[in-house]
Amino acid sequence: MEENYLAKWLNNELSPEELKAFEQTEEYQSYVKLKAVSSRLQAPEFDMEGTFAQIKAKTAGDTAKVIALKPYKSFLRIAAAIALLMVGAFAYLNLSNESVSTEIAETTKLTLPDASEVVLNADSKVTYDDTDWDLQRNITLEGEAFFKVAKGKTFTVSTDLGQVQVLGTQFNVEARKDYFEVSCYEGLVSVTFNNTTQKLPAGASLLFIRGERMERTVTNREHSWVNRESSFERVPLQFVINELERQFKIDVALENVDTEVLFTGSFNNTDLETALKSISTPSKLNFKVSGDNVLFYAEDTP
Amino acid sequence: MENVCEDEVYSTIYNANSKTLYNYIYYKFGNAEKANDAIQEAFIKLWENCQKVAPEKAKSFLYTVANNTYLNVLKAEKVRLKYATNQKDVSHESPEFLMEEKEYQQKLDDALNALPENQRTTFLLNRIDGKKYAEIAEMEGVSVKAIEKRMHLALKELRSKIDGI
Repeated sequence: MEENYLAKWLNNELSPEELKAFEQTEEYQSYVKLKAVSSRLQAPEFDMEGTFAQIKAKTAGDTAKVIALKPYKSFLRIAAAIALLMVGAFAYLNLSNESVSTEIAETTKLTLPDASEVVLNADSKVTYDDTDWDLQRNITLEGEAFFKVAKGKTFTVSTDLGQVQVLGTQFNVEARKDYFEVSCYEGLVSVTFNNTTQKLPAGASLLFIRGERMERTVTNREHSWVNRESSFERVPLQFVINELERQFKIDVALENVDTEVLFTGSFNNTDLETALKSISTPSKLNFKVSGDNVLFYAEDTP
Repeated sequence: MENVCEDEVYSTIYNANSKTLYNYIYYKFGNAEKANDAIQEAFIKLWENCQKVAPEKAKSFLYTVANNTYLNVLKAEKVRLKYATNQKDVSHESPEFLMEEKEYQQKLDDALNALPENQRTTFLLNRIDGKKYAEIAEMEGVSVKAIEKRMHLALKELRSKIDGI
């Protein structure tokens, strides 16, 4: 007998021979009865219209809600826009631009969101965007700061004079009037000044004084000022005095002093007397202190 | 182009499919209330997705949703189907015959309840709703051959249960 012959028989698909053979079997009459009775079976009543009405009521409910909201839509849009603007302005003014600054004779240390460290020298300011620090590590510097940058995305220090980009390293940036210096202590930093970019390896220092390019080597492990000392290597005396004025609350006056003479040396940032000696002795100058005023004068001046 | 979101199209689909879909789920559940819930769910889903479902795909969409609803409901629940039989043409029969018929009916109901769900559904869709094997295959998402197999096994099983073999 063919496969699934019962199904075929029910569907009148058996060949005459097969049908004949099936009719001979003893269970044939049982199947005939089953076929007859099962054809009279009925499924429970189904309230087609009532159910459709219920479905319609449920789906119409959704539509009605949408219509009811419509009068508020334009109002909500405006309200949302205003709220967004306010939040945006608040974020812009309060959150996005984190700013830290130091006064004269003050240094401060701050930790950035990625645990990078910044030590800010006197009379300096850094500004950075706190909120999307993960996406872009941009920091704006006015003055001088020492950076210990955690490894990660490009870390950019922007100043009025030039730009420094690193991935993760330790370096110092000083951006003062006419003076731009980058010293690299670890890794590699990329320095952009006057549209030219240069890679600066560890142990090197790049200096631009009044736009004039100079290279130096770095000997210490950290920039000296971090250890409360200001160091200079063949830097015009004017910039040394500028730094002195930033480290101590003093006004410096000069008498017969050539400020262009190159100064090599360092001064202590904690003790004024020692600092003044450190500058005056190698420069063959004298000094007088009266209150917050310091006068440097040439030794041979009467 | 016709769109299920149009009331007329939606109504046509409902009228063409709701009764069979209801029966289909009833044969599986053995519960009229749940079958009603399932078809309401299926048609509401169809309405919600009327933009995405083309009219010619609506039928298989409905069966898929109803089937999923069925799968989510307690399958363990024992099926208790009741089938009314059309008695009109047997009213002239003898009391003995009617008694016998009633007994047979009871045996058939019990045997149907004991069938595996897929065999029962196939058998009843054919016997009650007059569905061709090809149509049942489409509803169940299987081949015609698989439906023939289910039908064959259902007949064999019902006959042996009823005859007490």
